[in-house]
Amino acid sequence: MSGRRLNLGLVTGGALVGVVVAAALVSFVWTPHDPTLVDAAGKLREPGGGYLLGADKFGRDTLSQLMVGARTTLYVGVVAVGIAAVVGTPLGVAAGMAPRSRGWLSELIMRVNDLVFAFPALLLAVMLGAVYGAGTLTAMIAIGVATVPAFARVARAATMQVMVTDYVLAARAAGRRGPAIAVRHVLPNIGSVLIVQASVSFAIAILAEAALSFLGFGTRPPTPSWGRMLQESQELLFSTPRLALWPGLAIALAVLGFNLLGDGLRDHLDPKLRSARG
Amino acid sequence: MRRIGIWIALGGLLLGTAACGGGSGGRSGGTAAKESLSVGFVAEPANLDFTSTEGAAIPQALLVNVYEGLVKLDQDGRIQPLLAEKWDVSPDRKTYTFTLRKNVTFSSGAPFTADDVVFSLGRVRTDWKLKIKSQFDVIDKVDKKDDTTAVVTLKRPSNGFLYALATRLGAMFSRTGVADLANKPVGTGPYQLGAWKRGDSIRLDANPKYWGTKPAAGTVTLKYFKDATAMNNALLTGGIDVISSVQAPESLQQFADPNRFTTVEGTTNGEVVLSLNNGRPPFDDKKARQAVRYAIDHKALLDTAWAGRGKLIGSMVPPTDPWYEDRTGDYPYDPAKAKELLGGKTYTVKMRIPNLPYAVASAQVVKSQLAQVGITADIEPLEFPARWLDVVFKQGDYDMSIINHVEPRDMGIFADKSYYFRYDNPAFGKLLASADEGSEQQQTDDLKQAAKLLSDDAAADWLFLFPNLIVAKKGVTGLPQNAIAESFDFTGLAKQ
Repeated sequence: MSGRRLNLGLVTGGALVGVVVAAALVSFVWTPHDPTLVDAAGKLREPGGGYLLGADKFGRDTLSQLMVGARTTLYVGVVAVGIAAVVGTPLGVAAGMAPRSRGWLSELIMRVNDLVFAFPALLLAVMLGAVYGAGTLTAMIAIGVATVPAFARVARAATMQVMVTDYVLAARAAGRRGPAIAVRHVLPNIGSVLIVQASVSFAIAILAEAALSFLGFGTRPPTPSWGRMLQESQELLFSTPRLALWPGLAIALAVLGFNLLGDGLRDHLDPKLRSARG
Repeated sequence: MRRIGIWIALGGLLLGTAACGGGSGGRSGGTAAKESLSVGFVAEPANLDFTSTEGAAIPQALLVNVYEGLVKLDQDGRIQPLLAEKWDVSPDRKTYTFTLRKNVTFSSGAPFTADDVVFSLGRVRTDWKLKIKSQFDVIDKVDKKDDTTAVVTLKRPSNGFLYALATRLGAMFSRTGVADLANKPVGTGPYQLGAWKRGDSIRLDANPKYWGTKPAAGTVTLKYFKDATAMNNALLTGGIDVISSVQAPESLQQFADPNRFTTVEGTTNGEVVLSLNNGRPPFDDKKARQAVRYAIDHKALLDTAWAGRGKLIGSMVPPTDPWYEDRTGDYPYDPAKAKELLGGKTYTVKMRIPNLPYAVASAQVVKSQLAQVGITADIEPLEFPARWLDVVFKQGDYDMSIINHVEPRDMGIFADKSYYFRYDNPAFGKLLASADEGSEQQQTDDLKQAAKLLSDDAAADWLFLFPNLIVAKKGVTGLPQNAIAESFDFTGLAKQ
């Protein structure tokens, strides 16, 4: 196990995610400048002299905003994926474990799932925002709810595989009840699949948060958010393109990072590839 | 669909130039009707009934264009005859006798007579639901003398009456045309409603029965954009001919090429007000309100939030009004003074703003500057117009807001205790009343005092005067230099 080589995707993805996480963590204790402080004298300040990436039309330091924006991004991602995993996994496991005699349970769960799946996350967020007021919380909940079906499906498929293994059959024969089997045998064995799903969903959540903030349905101003930084840079796209470049790059790299991490983890944790490598 | 629109527009352009060769004076209705123009706006009206629905977007689209009043405002803010050929004022200034234009019909075909004047002005009191309808409380009665003469009797002399008559309050409705105002406006104006694609555009077609000079553009399409950049792009790519009000002033340099675009920069009646809820803590305390005014660096705000376009004002009077005085010096930027006024206390307040570009940009500057003196403003953008009007304007559930008050000569809104400012100072009401009743000189003097009182009381803070920034394709003429009436007047617009 310890001798397995780490693949390139995993390392690159891990590094990119690490940078984002580090930036977010550091932003709690230190940023170069106050990211929301308006400074008319420093309007559209060029990069340099303590302002590594320059400042926007409000004179706010771009680097500081990016760092705090990373925090917003991760926060949304963690909560949204958390909601999806906590709700979706039990549903998927229950559906996957339902015996043939109770096939209707599996059907019910999965068809309701399909219904939710039909709603795009963005639409759901815009809807929730219109009813409960736009904000980070509604955005997180909407993205989370929209991601539930992905987890449920993956969990169900993986559970069904586990349910036909010998050790589960043995546990059943020994008289273990469903919940005990789920906790003892199913969850540990589908964990790797879920981690991969979480990583990929995280990337989608980041993109969705950026899109929502861009549309004005996400994080409220002036809390820095990559999506809103992009939106605010729009009118300056021709005169000061760097204002759009940095948050755009941040979003792209963070999404790439989480996707690579997910891919890498899948390869790394896949038992078939594991045995193939010996 | 859009492509077809462009071809029609191009066709109109060619025909238009041909007609111009023959001299623009003798243009007949036939060729004029071919020309079409599309104008970009933000904030689509919720419906088309400005008698029951607040919001500036409806009169902006319909007044003067679809509805006409007895009088109208010209570019310099002077009152000009429209459906009334002339009017006589009695020596006691309480009786106005209007002589109406003959041969005027509504777009429905119904003739316009003194009965419609009696009907329309009477309706303001009985059917209108707007806050500003109180401006007509001064009317005692409206009588028909004969078909073309209407007599309005006031309870007391009023300087503001004729002016109010030029706003949407004075719009003339047909007695048979008010059944479905929200969808089917019927007026005497040069245009009538062609089609309304909700969420997209309103098309106005020339009214073939119009009594006056036919407008140059046979069709005007008002296209509504949620997004400032989308509106800019529409002009760059030829989707629209005019941006009625630039919503992203930093982007103006895209339109710098004089061979392709014309830019107009003038002033408006629009005071961008930082509204403070005078009716509940913390801003029921004058000191807290004054602290806010001292804490804001207005020059910095205008430079960052709106690219320095616009003008700083210190009270509810735009420079185009005769009683304007420079009040920007009343509360110079002084954070130390603000802290002193707050007495070391800190506050957290709800800043509920419309989700419009100027409000979102200004709010971030206000928040940052208030944070320096110990006021935490939680920004909450609400969807405009519906949500904002409901929560802030109707229910008054806010501490602080930012909105552009575009109505002309609208200082009177502060005299209404139930208006969402919840400002209550009887002295202010008295000044406005005596200004309205007195001579012209007294009006000017009193209103100057009233503006000073508002500023001293810090009834609100005035962030800046909204600029009239219009960008159009080169060759579009008739663009208003200043936007000081409630409507965007399409009648003079033409493409060369």
